Amino acid sequence: MERWTTLEPVKLHGSQVPSTKKPWKPTPPDRYQYIGPLPADTHLLILDFLPVTSFSSYARVSRAFARLAQDERLWKKKCDVLGLQKPSISSLLVNLEAQVTGNDSRSHAPPVLEVQDEKDDFGDFSSASFSPNMMSQWNGRETEGSVRSSGFADAYFDISRPISRTVYIHAHALLLILLRRFKAAPHLVLAELFPPPSPSLLEQSKTLSLLSRFLSPTIQPVSSWKDLRSILASVVDRFQAGVLAAFESADSRADEGLMSEAAWASWECWNPSQSGSEWELGRVWAEKLEIFYQHGQWDPLQNFTEEGKLAFEGMDGFMSHVIGALQRYGALAIRVFPPDSGVLLAFSDKLASEVVSEYIAPLLTKARGLPLQALFLQAVAASFAQSWRLVDAILELAKSPLASTPGVNGFILTRYQVEDIVFRMFEPHMDEYLDEEIDQVKRAFEIICETWDQKSSSTVAQMDTSPDAQTARFLIFGNPAQVKRTVLASFTDLMLLPVTIVPRTVGAVGAIVHTGGTAAVNGISMLNPARWGAVGTGSGSGYGAPPAKFEEDHDVKRSVLFHSADEDEEEFSLNEKAMPETKGALSFPGRELSLDPTDVNAEQNGRKLETLESLQLMLSLDVALEIIHADREALKRVETFKSYPGTYGHRVRETIEEIFILMLQALSERHVAPGFGRATQQMKLYNPNDAGDSDRVAPLLHFFELVHIGDMIQSMVQVYFDKELASYIDRTDFLNPVVREKKRFENVLDECVAAGLNAGTEVLMSQVEHIIQVKTGPREYYPQEGTIMDLQPTVGCGEAIACLETHCSLLKGSTNKEVLEVFHQEIGIRLHAIVQKHLKRQIISLEGGFQVIADLNAYHAFVTTLRVPLIVGDFANLKMLGHVYIVEDAKDLAQIVRDVTRYGGSFRPEDIYEFIQRRSDWKKIEKTVDKAMYNLSFREDCVVM
Amino acid sequence: MVTLTTSDNESFVVDKDVAERSVLIKNMLEDVGENDHPIPLPNVSASVLKKVLEYCEHHRGEPIPTADADSSDDTRKRTTDIGEWDQRFISVDQEMLFEIILAANYLDIKSLLDVGCKTVANMIKGKTPEEIRKLFNIVNDFTPEEEAQIKKENEWAEG
Repeated sequence: MERWTTLEPVKLHGSQVPSTKKPWKPTPPDRYQYIGPLPADTHLLILDFLPVTSFSSYARVSRAFARLAQDERLWKKKCDVLGLQKPSISSLLVNLEAQVTGNDSRSHAPPVLEVQDEKDDFGDFSSASFSPNMMSQWNGRETEGSVRSSGFADAYFDISRPISRTVYIHAHALLLILLRRFKAAPHLVLAELFPPPSPSLLEQSKTLSLLSRFLSPTIQPVSSWKDLRSILASVVDRFQAGVLAAFESADSRADEGLMSEAAWASWECWNPSQSGSEWELGRVWAEKLEIFYQHGQWDPLQNFTEEGKLAFEGMDGFMSHVIGALQRYGALAIRVFPPDSGVLLAFSDKLASEVVSEYIAPLLTKARGLPLQALFLQAVAASFAQSWRLVDAILELAKSPLASTPGVNGFILTRYQVEDIVFRMFEPHMDEYLDEEIDQVKRAFEIICETWDQKSSSTVAQMDTSPDAQTARFLIFGNPAQVKRTVLASFTDLMLLPVTIVPRTVGAVGAIVHTGGTAAVNGISMLNPARWGAVGTGSGSGYGAPPAKFEEDHDVKRSVLFHSADEDEEEFSLNEKAMPETKGALSFPGRELSLDPTDVNAEQNGRKLETLESLQLMLSLDVALEIIHADREALKRVETFKSYPGTYGHRVRETIEEIFILMLQALSERHVAPGFGRATQQMKLYNPNDAGDSDRVAPLLHFFELVHIGDMIQSMVQVYFDKELASYIDRTDFLNPVVREKKRFENVLDECVAAGLNAGTEVLMSQVEHIIQVKTGPREYYPQEGTIMDLQPTVGCGEAIACLETHCSLLKGSTNKEVLEVFHQEIGIRLHAIVQKHLKRQIISLEGGFQVIADLNAYHAFVTTLRVPLIVGDFANLKMLGHVYIVEDAKDLAQIVRDVTRYGGSFRPEDIYEFIQRRSDWKKIEKTVDKAMYNLSFREDCVVM
Repeated sequence: MVTLTTSDNESFVVDKDVAERSVLIKNMLEDVGENDHPIPLPNVSASVLKKVLEYCEHHRGEPIPTADADSSDDTRKRTTDIGEWDQRFISVDQEMLFEIILAANYLDIKSLLDVGCKTVANMIKGKTPEEIRKLFNIVNDFTPEEEAQIKKENEWAEG
């Protein structure tokens, strides 16, 4: 182009360009420039729809129109439609050119020459993607014509990059020649198009494809394009049939080279809009594969053992077979078919929907019919996990180097597409499964709670008859926090263990989920300290009946596991290498689980914890564990489906939440709340007078145990939540139903504890009062004169404080701080009242006054340990009150009584007056005191008056 | 409801989803937010807007094609056919046809613009240069030699 630019300004026509615009129109620049009634842009849009045949007339309308008709954008689009920018198409055109000039040179020379003439206008034609030999052919003619016409073109047309139009015109001329051959009889058209020596199938196919794009509404190269198009369609059909025959014969000879050639040829001219949505050749190939005709060989019902349990070796074998076939045919598909055709995907899909799905359907139907619903759920989860192996296998195939043939970009399959196959295959089962899962969880909780209720009512009865059992336990039950920590630790371990098993042995998940699952039930229940206690008391060795029974179960399972382990040798060996230590855990989850708690904890805790058994009457860790475990099992099953997309994915996540919520509800409504309710009830019935002079309140101890157990349960729920659920929900989202329900659960627990503590305080304080009353001797504060005073607190005071202290320390760390504080405060206030009441019942001598002070000091010291400032103040004031018993002089006494500030406002003079009435010498000093108090005030009043 | 005011100061009250078939109006509404101010359309007269709104009303609820709709893949599927209702709708005199195209272009209603352009293309099809000039009211500014030259250059396309 450069060589023409200098000429441009001197061209006459250049200055004439503006005159083409109508004077009445505004003249905005370029694209908004109006030509006739419409802007240039809109004209170009119209030209998009204009048949190529009309361009000649259009260009002759005016200079502006001629310029529009040559617009690069326009022709670029047409080139794009034909795909002329692709190297494969240009080389095809070169071949066609050679063929056409070889065959039809005489009859069709003129149009080609015309094309040459046109090309001459654009000097830089060599930059176009045509073969140079054509250029050299025209070079001779270029000289005289070019100067004239190119100058003209420069002046009038926007030809900054005129390549497209040139390229298009060349292709147009060539394709027109081919179109002439359509006039032959239908069955001869193919032969006419590709005269011998006929080009390769692929080339023929590409030519047909090009022609079909040429005869499209966007181009409309000739007025009769519609007729030609239908002829072409029939020609393509004919061609496809030929290719298919070639492919099939190559297939039967297993000649992959020919198969591949035929496949590519067929794919090239396959038009989805005309011949249905599925590529026939690919479909035909897949349909013939024998894998689709082997239904009878695999019996899905093999997965049920005779006892009506599940053992997925059958499915393992089946899946290995299917995956073997998938690998064999998939690799072939990758070698033979064009990656774009998606044959591998279609084949995998067909495999999943026709073979695997056919296998699973009767399996699940059978499982559905079994009496035990859990089996159905296990079967669904297990078969899904099995089917998931397909995904891995397919992706493995797609990763192979052949899958990305040179020239094709990227992988042929995305993970999403592959996963979608399995997801779609499983969708029909999902609704039922998810519903059933929730039902099952509900039922399981119901059963657990029901059994518990029965058991507990019977044990409660027993418990009442044998109160002796409680006497010694506190000596043993030394450190509740320590016990809790160890139990929680093993609980956490238990949470972790199966989680690592499941994903690692994806293939064997079926087997492990159901065997390992039940083993875990045993394992988890072994975690409960009460069980070890039972075992420990039964036999000194610590291994009583339950482990033996467990061993039995375990042997059965182990044999099952071995079968699946054989199938999954690879995975297992991998695991062995990676983590030799956990191998035991992997292959014998049951044993590992059962050993874990006994090894780690039994020794140190077994003896201590045996007492727990009798303590947790209202609330059972056992039940909580069972509930959590049942929940967890369901959760794990649902988790298998967690990667589900779309609405089902949503439902899966909802189900996970729902399951957790159900668990919380079961725990709080069915277990915790009634348990605490009963305990509270029991406490209310307690009468300190009946209980002898024990310094411990039995129901209160029970209750404190419950608080501890409740706290344990809450910790376990927290651990469970953190480990299993945290990944599904946003913990900070306070609107999330799970978070809300968990909060509610904690609140229920707190409320129960608070309500219980309320009743507990009542009980405790009446006990304290009882102790003080019973233990205080009649002359405790009125000793015989001359008795030697050691000024230690009295027995009643000491025992009351001891009782309070034991109970208060029991609660430490078991419930939240606020509740404890309220509890302590309540204790303080009530103690305050009791002590006052107690004092008012006594007769106190001057010597006894020191005893009173000693007691009050002891109470104060105790209250200080509760760390509630308010009541500490009260008790400090109470301590001051003791002074009124040791003042000898009546007038001084009156002074003290009147000095309200001494008692920090806790007592009014009238209150103090009441206290001093308890003095043994009251009768003697009464008048003096009265006088001192009231006369004094009269006198003062008079002064004021 | 949206109020539109034409160049000749006539107001049209239409449903929002009808008005929003125009990408221009849609963007404007997004920019100004919800208020009752009328939207001025200084480039469109009442008679044309009435016609355009008739089209929008009929096609309300249909998906609006995205901006990059002229990718080559799309052109491949595109046809020159016009729907039956559209055909009746667009059977107007030439002046109105151009007005509709201009309005559709201004208001950015791609489907209506396509209908208009297809119709014009169909009108051009098979016409002589002189007839096309008459259609667009264009004066021939070629010298006879130039016209002959252009004719020669485009002979390849006459099929």
